[in-house]
Amino acid sequence: MSRAKRIDREEGRAYWTMVLPAFAVYLLVMAFPIVLSIILSVSNYNGGKMFGGPKWGFAGFGQYARTVADPLFWNALKNNAYIVLVSVFGQLPLGFIFAYIIYRRIVKWPGFWQGVLYLPNIISIIVVGLLWQTVFSPSGPIAEFMNSIYHRAFEAKLSELFAAAGGFNVTDGLVKRILDLAGPSGAAMFANPVPDLKDFILSYPQGHLGQVINDLANLFAQKWRPAFLTRPDQAMLPVLFVILWMYTGMYLILFLANMQKIDVQVIESARIDGANEAQVMRHIILPALSGTMVNAAILAISGSLSSFALIFAMTGGGPSHVTEILSIYMYNKAFLGSPNFPLANAIALIMVAVSFLLIALTKALEKRYGGKEE
Amino acid sequence: MREHLTTTALGRAAGAAAKILAYAVMILFTVLTLYPIFWLVMNSFKTTREFQVSQLSFPKSPTLDNFAGAWKLGDFGKLFPNSIIYTVGATVGIILLSVLAGFAFAKIKSRATKPIYNSFVIGILLTIQSLMIPLFLEVNLLGIYDTRLAVLLVYIGAGLPIGIYLATEFIKGIPNALVESARIDGAGYFRVFWSIILPMSVPVATTLAILNVSNIWNEFALINILVSSTDLKSLPLGIYKFSGSLSSDYGKQFAALTIGMAPMLLFYVVFRKQITKGVAAGAVKG
Repeated sequence: MSRAKRIDREEGRAYWTMVLPAFAVYLLVMAFPIVLSIILSVSNYNGGKMFGGPKWGFAGFGQYARTVADPLFWNALKNNAYIVLVSVFGQLPLGFIFAYIIYRRIVKWPGFWQGVLYLPNIISIIVVGLLWQTVFSPSGPIAEFMNSIYHRAFEAKLSELFAAAGGFNVTDGLVKRILDLAGPSGAAMFANPVPDLKDFILSYPQGHLGQVINDLANLFAQKWRPAFLTRPDQAMLPVLFVILWMYTGMYLILFLANMQKIDVQVIESARIDGANEAQVMRHIILPALSGTMVNAAILAISGSLSSFALIFAMTGGGPSHVTEILSIYMYNKAFLGSPNFPLANAIALIMVAVSFLLIALTKALEKRYGGKEE
Repeated sequence: MREHLTTTALGRAAGAAAKILAYAVMILFTVLTLYPIFWLVMNSFKTTREFQVSQLSFPKSPTLDNFAGAWKLGDFGKLFPNSIIYTVGATVGIILLSVLAGFAFAKIKSRATKPIYNSFVIGILLTIQSLMIPLFLEVNLLGIYDTRLAVLLVYIGAGLPIGIYLATEFIKGIPNALVESARIDGAGYFRVFWSIILPMSVPVATTLAILNVSNIWNEFALINILVSSTDLKSLPLGIYKFSGSLSSDYGKQFAALTIGMAPMLLFYVVFRKQITKGVAAGAVKG
């Protein structure tokens, strides 16, 4: 009796010594912030010491009303929704297709494709954000590539004109044709277009036709300064593209790992019995992956709500707030200009609520429409 | 007979077409994935002037000056050790606390298990980035703003839900008989933990290490609000410095990005198989 009691007590002590450290850290980092958020969101606390500093107290639910009345909040929520949509209708199907191609051994070197396509996931998001910011910048590589095409096309046309004139034979007619090619913006570079341009061309020595053509193309060829990240109406597109670029490989890994759990013999015997590839997909692979699909959708939702660094580095939420997502919107309310901590905390709670709501919804959909696993 | 022949020939043709299409798709996305990364590394060997003239060509006379410059300007000599401390410290913390608690949840009967374990599982769904602002206020309240302790605590806390879930599920699979026979031989629970559970938990510990190392090494949003002095910053914070006023110094910016990318690339090349396995195991949400 007393021995059993002693064992019970030892068991209890061991249990709590093992569980408490983890539970304490967890409460401190995940639970306490939520409680703090609830308190502060209905307060008028605005910085300074929480105890012994400026007095603060209950201030009602005004911050929630302010948040829902703010068009920027809805804009941020919309961008979060875009990210979820890109995941669900872009990354998921692409990842599934890649996984299927690798799983069914339609291509060789399965490890290679997997390794490459997952690669962006392990690069620091800040690096990814800054890299693509440069790629999409008005003077970035895309612009350089397009402009080199314009340049070459313009050079080709100039060469034709000079060839028709019989080489370096600069007449008023030729100069006029060059100006026609350059268009009004080209002519506007000169006070007296025809004589000025003629003098300019003639300032080159006779044999340097190639140099003349190159310089004229530099001067006149169309220059494209892409505004991917600077035009408010389209700045979200590159962001979504980068999200697709970065995370598709994760869904590939997820789908492939779960496809590999399917018994190969089931597929093989179905094939021997005359089932075609489409039937294998429809009746074996897809049903086996329905749980994985729901899991992936939930990952997409929480991924959207947890993304911060990519947009922070790539656009900072600009131009004029159009690429803000909820986390950036919240961050700006707390740290940009005069801080509004109650408001930021209200947004934090709204985000937590939204994520749980969406995940509950996904789960409910799975229960209602989901296929049977195993 | 003849019909049969044509269908298989057709089938073979269709199979070949599908193969070509599949290769085309895979190659296209491989190029799309690798080229930007290659482009970044390539340009880190150009001077800023050469970059401005030509971004797409190979560097004419490759230089390492950018790396030296970026290393100094970004204080990477300080940030690297910090990143290592945070990554190793938090990962070890997560693994140890998870396996400990997982052992208790899986092998010691208690009425407390259900509510506490479930609260951890709910935490898997919680995105800690949404708690950025209250966390910032909390560390200020506790007087640990701008300390390593705050960073480690937050990273460990954020990693615990998935860690405890995976560890508990794994340890449930260890036969009870092993634990019981050791207990009958008079071993205490901690003895059982050290000599039986921990050694047998190496697979799940590896998964957790894989999951957390790259996450923590690359983490930005949280540490951004937890520390402000350079002595405590991690690599991603240092790289971000190159986006503002320094962003027109392309040579150094690209070198900084390459430096920031290199350790994880190396980690990935060495542990690719374990990483992809770990990711698949860790991608559980509820």
